[in-house]
Amino acid sequence: MKYWWKILGVLILLYTFFMGLLTPLKTGISEASPLSLHAGRSETVTVVGYNSFFTKEKEKLRAWLKLPNGKALAAKRIDVVDDRVAKLTFDIPSFLPVDTKVKDFTLLIDSPVDGASVLPGGIAVTQDTVNLALGDALWPNAEISQLHEKEAITFPFRNILGETIRNTYYHVPLWMSMFIILTGGMVFSVIYLMKNDADADRKAMALSNVGLLLGILGIITGAIWARYTWGKFWSWDVKQNMTAIALLIYGAYFVLRASFEDPEKKARVGAVFNIFAYASLVPLLYIIPKLTDSLHPGAGGNIAFGSQDLDSTMRMVFYPAIIGWALIGLWVAEIILRTARLKDRLMEV
Amino acid sequence: MNILVQIMHLLRKEITLEWRQKYALSGILLYVLSTVFIVYISFQNIGPQVWNVLFWVIMLFASVNAVMKSFVQESGYRQLYYFQLLHPIAILLSKMIYNSLLLLLLGGLTFVALAFIAGNPVQDAGIFALTLFLGSTGFSITFTFVSAIAAKADNSSTLMAILSFPVVIPILLLLVNLSAHSIGILGSTDIGDKTMLLGAVDLILVSMGLVLFPFLWRD
Amino acid sequence: MLIASKKALSTCLLLILPLTFLLAQQDTDFMRSMGKMYVVVAVIAAIFLGIVIYLIRLDRKLTKLEDQIKNHG
Repeated sequence: MKYWWKILGVLILLYTFFMGLLTPLKTGISEASPLSLHAGRSETVTVVGYNSFFTKEKEKLRAWLKLPNGKALAAKRIDVVDDRVAKLTFDIPSFLPVDTKVKDFTLLIDSPVDGASVLPGGIAVTQDTVNLALGDALWPNAEISQLHEKEAITFPFRNILGETIRNTYYHVPLWMSMFIILTGGMVFSVIYLMKNDADADRKAMALSNVGLLLGILGIITGAIWARYTWGKFWSWDVKQNMTAIALLIYGAYFVLRASFEDPEKKARVGAVFNIFAYASLVPLLYIIPKLTDSLHPGAGGNIAFGSQDLDSTMRMVFYPAIIGWALIGLWVAEIILRTARLKDRLMEV
Repeated sequence: MNILVQIMHLLRKEITLEWRQKYALSGILLYVLSTVFIVYISFQNIGPQVWNVLFWVIMLFASVNAVMKSFVQESGYRQLYYFQLLHPIAILLSKMIYNSLLLLLLGGLTFVALAFIAGNPVQDAGIFALTLFLGSTGFSITFTFVSAIAAKADNSSTLMAILSFPVVIPILLLLVNLSAHSIGILGSTDIGDKTMLLGAVDLILVSMGLVLFPFLWRD
Repeated sequence: MLIASKKALSTCLLLILPLTFLLAQQDTDFMRSMGKMYVVVAVIAAIFLGIVIYLIRLDRKLTKLEDQIKNHG
């Protein structure tokens, strides 16, 4: 079968769209109010769950306010309003086992149906006076045990991202397949310079053209995603900056090619610039993250979203998506290549 | 005649030529002075952070202008003559060395002018000098090579800017960051690391240039 | 054709960028409803639109080539 890789690309992309859109998210806590509590009182927190089924087995619902070191306070009462909303009542002791006046607590809810869900560091508790010894004595140190796991294939729930975590399969692979395709273009430029074969230059041109398309799509989708998670169209993000620079470079590549009449000269100078520009693009992969660390220490609210914090379910969709987009890009490049061949043959006649 | 001797001869030729037509050199110097002055009039109060960015932006534009002429303004006959006589690597290297000297001078002048008009925020002169050295080398490598590419096309002065700016971004980012360290805006944690990185980028680009230049040269 | 690809780049940018700005300026509560699911929809729609514009451009280029071949006989 001559077209197997095209069919493979389509099937892989179908799989990523199917899996990526239909798999539900884990249960999470999307809202809690009030977000700041006071020590020494009995406080009620209204929690809005995401994808939650609080009414099923509501007697077995449990909730805690938890410190990073594991010390926790169990909720005294849990009133389930409906599947999404529950009211948690905490009897907070007058003194907290911490040495600051205000401390952020993590809210943890466990249900046999939904599994455990957290609101990390989301609830601030204020105490009037700091007294570590009294706080340690008064704090109940409730035991957190036998947490449940949701028994289904799910994607992780992250508060800022919500459902947009799915964009990992539709936006990020564009960037990676762009890099794969542009690397291919660079390789064909090298082959052109070594063998002086006009078809190799056409291949480099076609691949760079598709790389440009993927880059533009990547930039636009990235801007949309960033707008609703980080609040701005553009944030100092490695992939966004790299893509923008790649777009500038390959835009310049096509302008350079357009400025030559002689096809041999066009191909040769274009190939030289392609290789030189690519060599300057790659170091940015190391440079930008390095500068990001020093310019924005612990950039607040921005989730470090590299491949290291993908869980295994996400990897099952994410890696195929890269291959799928690269194959589709290759397909488009092949069509451009054939068009260019046709055109060059026509020019010779 | 080996490459090293050729480079020395070409360097001497470049400097003599430059000295004879002083108007080119003084044109660039005046360009820097007037840019600095315009920047000062528009900003008036220049904080350290702005100073840092302005310095490198002025350097960037002045460098493009200074280096552009290295291949673009050389006549076709003379290039043909060189081609038959000399090794292409010697031609490229001599231009790169000459241009980095020129840019170092330009950087020094920009620094003096900016410091004279807007104050001198540099705290660690050693790091700043090192940054300036690595910066003018990197600019010179990139712009010299790109000007060799642009010289092949007809509309070379526009091409020069659009071809060279995206390529020079990695160097520029590191330069702004390193000189921010020398000004004391950023804490000095990994200066050595970044200097190495900048040196590595310079090295990659110069070796790419040396490998690719013979292909560009043959016609 | 190279000029055409330059033109395509600018048309893509000209067509899609205002669209994204328009989307962003719309009632943001809509975009943020259902756990921001519509952001995913917008991203997929942008990819689809970009590919369609690219294909239309390619189609035109091929039509032009076909015409040329026809004229040559």
